[in-house]
Amino acid sequence: MSAIGNTYVLFLHISRILVSDRGHGSRIISTTKSERLDMTQHRRYSGLKAGALAVPTIAALVLTGCSASTGSNASSSGSQEFSLSFATSNTIESPFQVLAEKYMETNPNVKITFNPQPNDSYDQTLRTQLQAGNASDIVVTSPGSGQGRSILPLAEAGFLEPLDDSAKELLPEGSASSFGPEGKIFGQATAITVSALVANEVAVKEAGEFPADFAALEQQCKSLESSGKSLFALAGAAPPNTGLTAMSLAASRVYAEDPQWNDKRAANEVTFAGSDGWKSALEAVNTLKDAGCFQKGAAGAGFDAITKGLASGTSLAGFIPATSWKQLQSAAAGSEFGVRALPAEKGSGNDYVYASANYAFSINAASKNKDAAKAFLAWAAEPEQTKAFAEIDGALPVSGIDSYDFEGGAYKNVGDLIKDGKYGPLPNSQWPNSAVYDALATGVQGIITGQKTPDQVLQAMDAAWGQ
Amino acid sequence: MTATMQPKSEAAEAPRRGRRTPGAGQNARPRGRGLEFGHWWWALPGIALVVAIHYVATGIGGFFAFTNWTGIGSFKITGWANFEAIFKDTTKVGALSNTLFLAFGSVLLGNIAGLVIALGLNRVLKTRYILRTLFFMPVVLSPLATAYIWKYIFDFDGPLNALLTAIGAGDQAKPWLADPQWAIWTVLVVLVWSSTGFAMVIFMAGLAGVPVEVEEAAAIDGANLWQRFRNVTLPAIRPAVAIATTLGIVQGLRVFDPIMALTGGGPAGATETLATQVYKQAFALGNFGGGAALALVLAAIILIFAVLQQRLTRSNPED
Repeated sequence: MSAIGNTYVLFLHISRILVSDRGHGSRIISTTKSERLDMTQHRRYSGLKAGALAVPTIAALVLTGCSASTGSNASSSGSQEFSLSFATSNTIESPFQVLAEKYMETNPNVKITFNPQPNDSYDQTLRTQLQAGNASDIVVTSPGSGQGRSILPLAEAGFLEPLDDSAKELLPEGSASSFGPEGKIFGQATAITVSALVANEVAVKEAGEFPADFAALEQQCKSLESSGKSLFALAGAAPPNTGLTAMSLAASRVYAEDPQWNDKRAANEVTFAGSDGWKSALEAVNTLKDAGCFQKGAAGAGFDAITKGLASGTSLAGFIPATSWKQLQSAAAGSEFGVRALPAEKGSGNDYVYASANYAFSINAASKNKDAAKAFLAWAAEPEQTKAFAEIDGALPVSGIDSYDFEGGAYKNVGDLIKDGKYGPLPNSQWPNSAVYDALATGVQGIITGQKTPDQVLQAMDAAWGQ
Repeated sequence: MTATMQPKSEAAEAPRRGRRTPGAGQNARPRGRGLEFGHWWWALPGIALVVAIHYVATGIGGFFAFTNWTGIGSFKITGWANFEAIFKDTTKVGALSNTLFLAFGSVLLGNIAGLVIALGLNRVLKTRYILRTLFFMPVVLSPLATAYIWKYIFDFDGPLNALLTAIGAGDQAKPWLADPQWAIWTVLVVLVWSSTGFAMVIFMAGLAGVPVEVEEAAAIDGANLWQRFRNVTLPAIRPAVAIATTLGIVQGLRVFDPIMALTGGGPAGATETLATQVYKQAFALGNFGGGAALALVLAAIILIFAVLQQRLTRSNPED
């Protein structure tokens, strides 16, 4: 961006100076008649040369211009072809792609074009493409309204196609309102993602027991710190991680006691700044910091600190989406990773985790291959496929969670919580815009560096809510 | 570039060139042709693209500054509300002061460093060609890529803290990029490092046009090094100073990629600039109207300072 601007400004300067230089030049250089003749010839020749260059260049411009406007509709005649957009954040093959490839294997007449996008620019790319009418036929969205890829604002703007009953059957309990306004459903849930702690179980065993309550947790932080380790690996400079940390602290403090808290906030019955639970959650960030629960230099760390810390066992656990257990386990040979709940302040009876469908398949309302796309969605909704997808993703299946066998798997420590229904959707998916989460995430970094107090952060969140 | 910086010295250079290659007429011919080459209408496709991409797009973007558009769907025209919100928000006022601090800091330090290096590498030193390349390297390298290297250097487990620990100053080790006091200075160091090479090249082009004879005459008259620099060299490279500082300020005011890569605007907004805020508001937080308003403010500030800068460093009223 800046380079283009620079060149442009430089060009202006150069052209100005060149123009003023012309005077000097003509004074110094006196041309003879033969030279002038030579110049005319040369000019003609150069004109030809430039023309030879200009024609293909303009042709290329025209051609790319045309292809850009027609390219996305090339497959409009056949209905056995569609495209799929999803976000990727690492080199591991996306579970969405694996699932779609399996569909192509079982249906050889179907061709799926993959449009993977980097995770950090996915939201913007998706919105721009939907707006321009050239988005993929199937796009991966998120339930709720808190992100750029969230279903509710996209559906309200008319970019998504309403889905039929097979998608309705996959709705996680009580989350219908996150999948579309007015009882309509615009997304098909893909899997249940738990958001809690991912722990290096080998390192946990070495350190003794995983703390059962918050007081024991503080104690363990101190003893681990003295041995050069840390209980948690925190990416303090990565807002998604600081935000998830604070929300995890709020799980037992706010949402275990009042699962409908977000609805009340939306109705302006409560505020963040006025909530004792939220205040306690953010004060706990300070408590954790003072007890030495985070690794050294946590305030400036990125996601690599979590991967390194957890894989090497210098940190016991991290606040990351539970599906990461699978990637970490495959990255660190001989290791075992599992999902755990953050110990509640008032003891294990109050433990609470977030488990919700964080991703969904949606159909682009402007798609010309809706039938092919719907056929894929119907196939993906079959129990066999939801189970397979959960396995590829390292998540929990979106259907049949009651009969899921938690024993022996990565989710064994949170199995009881989920069976007992002590879980709720990730809070920020129900917040009205992404600015609220941003205020929380950057605020937590500010609390760790001492720039902000919990009260200031909560007030900023309230202000962002009303934006 | 050389030709752009020294319109006056070209005349002085010409006879010397002539001596090196026989036939001054031949040597000068390409210049004459180069100046008369082409027709104005050849630029039409370029002009059309610039108008369409630069001005029309910017104009439409500017319109959204007066709306509450979120990036999708419908919008309402809200008048000056977005601008009011900017000046009421402490983060954005902080971003404004950070922007000015980084722009002027990097221009001042980068230009002084660039001038010193250019003077040092101007004539005498044998290794000057290699050194020039080395000093210019940061300009050529991708700012994003080098920012990641700097990020590694300033990392808590990075080489800087390792060095501090090795020399017994381990208590000074800190997460530089996440330290509320130090983060902005760390960013400034990176900006100065990357802008020095550019300033150096401009000054070097300017210095090439300073007639050796005048310097020698001043030396014979008894002027010392500083006097020669102050009274002979500096006035002669004034156009170079004007360009280096103007470009530096424009560049500094809208600096984006190094900050995004180094700190992302953190810790908690301590290194946020107008450009990073524009990006966050418009693209990350879905507040397109607010982002567009902020971009307009940024554009106005850049314009004011660029014009001011040009007026201050103008060598004579004819320019």
